[in-house]
Amino acid sequence: MSSVITISKLAKHYQVPEREGGLKAAVTSLFKRKYRTVKAVDGISFNIEPGEVVGFLGPNGAGKTTTLKMLSGLLHPTSGEVSVMGYEPRHRSHDYLRQITLVMGNRNQLTWDLPALDSFDLQRAIYGIPVDQFKRTRDEFIELLELKDLVNKPVRNLSLGERMKMEFVVALLHRPKVLFLDEPTIGLDVTMQRRIRTFVAEYNRRYNATVLLTSHYMADVEALCKRVIVIHHGRLLFDGDLSTLVRQFSSYKTLSLTLPNPEVDLVKYGEVISREDGRVTLRVPKAQTSQVTARLLSDFQVDDLTVEDAPVDDVIDQVFSQKEEA
Amino acid sequence: MNLFKIAWTYLRIGVMNELQYRVNFFIQILQSVIAVATGLIGLSLVFGQVDNLSGWSRPELLAVMGVHILMGGVIRSAIQPNMERLMNDVLNGTLDFALTKPADAQTLVSVREFRFWQLTDVLVGLVILVIAVIQLQTKMYALQIVAFLAALILGGIMLYCVWLMVTSIAFWVIRVGDIVDLFQGLFAAGRWPISVYPDWLRTGMTFLVPVAFAVTMPAEAVTNRLTSESMLFAFGLTLLFMLLARGVWLLGLRSYSGASA
Amino acid sequence: MRRYVEYFLATARISILSQIQYRVANYFYMIGMIAEPVIYLVVWSTIAKQLGGVVGGYTAGAFAAYYIVWTLVRNMNIVFTPFGWENRIREGELSMSLMRPVHPIISDIAYFSGWKVVVIILWIPIAIFLAWIFKPTIEFTVLKAIVFFIAIWGAFLIRTMLLSLLGMITFWTTRVSAIFDLYFALELILSGRLVPMTLMPAWVQNLSNYLPFKYTFFFPIDALVGNMSTNELWMGIGMQIFWITLGASLLSLVWRVAIKQFSAVGG
Repeated sequence: MSSVITISKLAKHYQVPEREGGLKAAVTSLFKRKYRTVKAVDGISFNIEPGEVVGFLGPNGAGKTTTLKMLSGLLHPTSGEVSVMGYEPRHRSHDYLRQITLVMGNRNQLTWDLPALDSFDLQRAIYGIPVDQFKRTRDEFIELLELKDLVNKPVRNLSLGERMKMEFVVALLHRPKVLFLDEPTIGLDVTMQRRIRTFVAEYNRRYNATVLLTSHYMADVEALCKRVIVIHHGRLLFDGDLSTLVRQFSSYKTLSLTLPNPEVDLVKYGEVISREDGRVTLRVPKAQTSQVTARLLSDFQVDDLTVEDAPVDDVIDQVFSQKEEA
Repeated sequence: MNLFKIAWTYLRIGVMNELQYRVNFFIQILQSVIAVATGLIGLSLVFGQVDNLSGWSRPELLAVMGVHILMGGVIRSAIQPNMERLMNDVLNGTLDFALTKPADAQTLVSVREFRFWQLTDVLVGLVILVIAVIQLQTKMYALQIVAFLAALILGGIMLYCVWLMVTSIAFWVIRVGDIVDLFQGLFAAGRWPISVYPDWLRTGMTFLVPVAFAVTMPAEAVTNRLTSESMLFAFGLTLLFMLLARGVWLLGLRSYSGASA
Repeated sequence: MRRYVEYFLATARISILSQIQYRVANYFYMIGMIAEPVIYLVVWSTIAKQLGGVVGGYTAGAFAAYYIVWTLVRNMNIVFTPFGWENRIREGELSMSLMRPVHPIISDIAYFSGWKVVVIILWIPIAIFLAWIFKPTIEFTVLKAIVFFIAIWGAFLIRTMLLSLLGMITFWTTRVSAIFDLYFALELILSGRLVPMTLMPAWVQNLSNYLPFKYTFFFPIDALVGNMSTNELWMGIGMQIFWITLGASLLSLVWRVAIKQFSAVGG
């Protein structure tokens, strides 16, 4: 079966005007403009299969949003190929647009002064959704996200989290097969983030939709995505399972142990990260894990010992900082 | 067609939105009255010196004023709000929502906004027009009224096309917030019939800014000056503008999407 | 005092730099703006032609001179719009600027002054173009030029005072568009913006002598294109100074009350 999304050597370059500060430079720039090429996306390739939920990770300016925009047809690539469900996104054919959706955290498409229900009606008109299907989908989502009391309030009176939930409803009313989510949980509190994640996961399960999600929050990625694509400086750094990412790039593990005397000096074994309620956490270089574990067990009376992978956030940090130097 | 249904839904929502703010109605009326008073003062200054301006009598110029106010109302209720929103969308990147919808983007960005209360100017303009026609004491034939309506519609479309073209400049030169001032300035030229302007200015105005066309023509229809040639010309010009506007819009989109030139 | 001069120059400099960046927007604005006087000019030239060449003592050439100089005076007397105060309050900008050790209106004046420098430079080609088309007739003297140069800055300051005062209304109510429209309509009639004041009926001319509006448009323009005597020229400047002082005093009074109101209600 063919992939839903195919990207091959995709690139997007921008010409950015460059100018120094000051009066002389300002006047000079009237006559002569200096430009610099910014390679927002610099030749990336990957395929995504139907039903996959893929996380797109990278620091600010890495090229995530640019890639997403090329996939949704908003930006024309400078070079390379991109194909979604067999369509070339940049043609923005109506058939194509009817099957995708774009959700951008921090940006609203709901009508501000009216209840969300009115925005839903508008969406129905725009997408030509048959009335029964529309009502069923709408009510399904309202129930899933517990929005029954909120849909009649003017959108401007909703909290940020409630508004984001509404955004999701309006974005998915037409049951798109491919979802492009650009930082959808940004600025939301932890509970709200979880609700949105559950909703996306549920939608993916019910409709076998393909989801491409960019986020800063590892929690989003950990909860939703089995597969991650890591981008930095417009280039692909990693494409695979999250667990593989951790295994490949993390250079240490954390050991948590309960000791009868937690105040004991452990400097010989590893870096102590915390001591709390009788529990000590140590950071140990990966290669030495089994050695250190053995020594600890023989030197002390250990009540309880756990070996864990480094937190994913730290791993990602490391991936980026490694590549910075490279 | 789906586009009509979309436009209708936007209209319905826009009106519902505005009806919440009933005070705006009274503020609008007040503003319309002030504008009419200013216009009347202008007229009396002119007619304090002469009894016709380039062959247009006082009631005839009153008719021009009526059409001007009416058109102004149409612009401020239906055209300007959409163009301002388009400008903001280009600036803030929120145009993306309109572009990922399965409907023609130009239509979407042109029908999204509707300022219901600005229609008071349409009403006021009509009232002035009726007063002018009464003062003219000529009979209005059905054909005249049809011609008048046709001229209004063609003029409105032309104005929309010009607005769209100028707003589309935002695709290339991001900050064009003063478009509104530009247009208010240029639209003010429609306050007087084109024949007042010297020939060389007149041709420039007709082609660059069909403002005078959009106002003078309906006024000519009402004051019995309109010829069928002018109507035909207006029709052709409107078609030309529609094509031009569509072209500029599509070019602008390509630029926005970073398509190679 | 020196601190104020430094602040003034620094703000004006930033303003010049920014406005050079926005040159396209500035040009759009200016092009839209010259439509108004060009329309008046065309209408009155037509009337003059119909009446054998002169109307109210103005020939077509005199009208051309009046309205072309009008464009510079207009650019000079554009100041921070009273509508802008509403935005300032709402968006929290006012709270921010109140934290600075400079009065916001002084800041406005500094910023706009820098802007005016850019405007004057951008205006020159427009003026040349208009002069080429409309062929104004004008008699230059050094005295008139000097008085004109002072008067346009006077017009800028008078209108700053007036429109800032108007803007203060937004501290108490936000439904102000009708009030502002009324003000602008009055200004249109009484300032010489619509037509040279000498074409207005006598009672209007009389009334305008007691109001500041005339000194924002008619006086500066007439100083350059008209036939005022040396006495009248300097008297006019004196009147400008009077109105600026009166406006400033009134403004500082109202400002104090407005800020008290603002601080009580909260930004």
